[in-house]
Amino acid sequence: MPQFFLNKRLIILLVSIIILVSLIGFSLRERENVTWPEQFLKDMTGWVQNIVAGPTQYIAGFFENVQDLQNTYTENKELKSRLDDLAFLEAEVQLLQKDNAELREILDKEESLSQYEPVQATVVGRNPDRWHEMLTINKGSRDGIEPNMAVITSNGLIGKVKSAQTFTSTVQLLSSMDPTNRISAVVQDADKDTEIFGLIEGYDEKRKLLMLTKIPYDAKVEKDQMVTTSGYGGVFPKGLPIGKVVEVTPAEYGLTQTAYIEPGADLYDIQHVMVTKISSMNPEIQKELQKGEEEEDN
Amino acid sequence: MRKFILPLLFILLFVIESTFVQMVPPKEYFGNERFLIPHFLMIAILFLTIYGSKKYGLLYAFIFGLLFDIVYTEIIGIYLCLFPLIAYITSQLMRILQNNIIVTSLVVLFGIGVLEFGAYGMNIIINRTAMPLADFTLIRLIPTLILNLIVIIAGVYPLKRHFEKFIESLSE
Repeated sequence: MPQFFLNKRLIILLVSIIILVSLIGFSLRERENVTWPEQFLKDMTGWVQNIVAGPTQYIAGFFENVQDLQNTYTENKELKSRLDDLAFLEAEVQLLQKDNAELREILDKEESLSQYEPVQATVVGRNPDRWHEMLTINKGSRDGIEPNMAVITSNGLIGKVKSAQTFTSTVQLLSSMDPTNRISAVVQDADKDTEIFGLIEGYDEKRKLLMLTKIPYDAKVEKDQMVTTSGYGGVFPKGLPIGKVVEVTPAEYGLTQTAYIEPGADLYDIQHVMVTKISSMNPEIQKELQKGEEEEDN
Repeated sequence: MRKFILPLLFILLFVIESTFVQMVPPKEYFGNERFLIPHFLMIAILFLTIYGSKKYGLLYAFIFGLLFDIVYTEIIGIYLCLFPLIAYITSQLMRILQNNIIVTSLVVLFGIGVLEFGAYGMNIIINRTAMPLADFTLIRLIPTLILNLIVIIAGVYPLKRHFEKFIESLSE
């Protein structure tokens, strides 16, 4: 009899391990969106989170206000010194915008890779086990949000939409270690016209820096250069700021270089975000797609 | 009415964990240097297993493990396996150990430690983290255990009373 029990337990253990492994495998594969029971559960929790988040945000806001009051004097001083530059910058921006619009008109090209429509959203929750850095926001597919859209704050890119439900969506942060989490980025060089491309891939958890990999070995990336999205992935708009280069090292085999980037946006303290709905595709990709369709028709 | 209190309590704890991570710890003290992971839900489940019934403990562990995976991590299986496993280990441990508040609190703390280690191991296996073990212990495990110890000390008495009453009401 005892042996029978032992066997039964063993079988239950084995079966549950098999189920466990297959479940993990099922959820690890690249999927477009989560299945509908998951969506339903996420929406339900999102609703409860929304209720809880309201008062907590209010209380947290109060403490923040008190802290702000304490810093007012030093902040005011700093802001005044920046104000002078601002007027100058504003005038320049206006001029450039006008120029850009005129030139576009001449070229007959209305859309560009950098155009997007922002959707404002509030963060209602965060994944408590911080292995998978994910946020829940209070806008979903009802507001036009789809998986893979870029999510930004006023300081720059923070991540992408991992899955969208009807009323809420899940945002995967840049700091999340996910092999499928890659973003095509470009290093801006103000002096020269050359652009250096790479992929944002991986995160150094200890130093809190993003890694920009696959930079050509002969490219000269320097400290403090700005890194933005390139828009060539076809998913993200062009020109969203990501961060600044901190350090450049040769990659594992010396064929490419890896740059460490300090994210411009704070990846920890996030309250309000914008989801960017891209309004146009890369023209070249569009052309290719059209060509493909025509060929199919023929 | 009494029937709904237990599920409501657990749902509230489930949601508060995420709100806690999102809002409460000021960045200057915790944010980037250390990871403080709240395990309020697990604490309540373990106390339910010890002071309430093992059956209910395992059931809630299973349901909320699944919910945790679906809603928060999007990888189904990690907490679905760990929550019931730890509840089971705790109930087995309590058979041997004395049933007083200090011992049970330490057993629950041990359970939280096992949970953190289990999640770390699983994430290493599926390649979602590259944190070395030394870093994990220093910046994650120890701060998390301290935070949860405080929560355990604050919560042990009310939870004990509530779960014991719940079991009495069941047997009536």
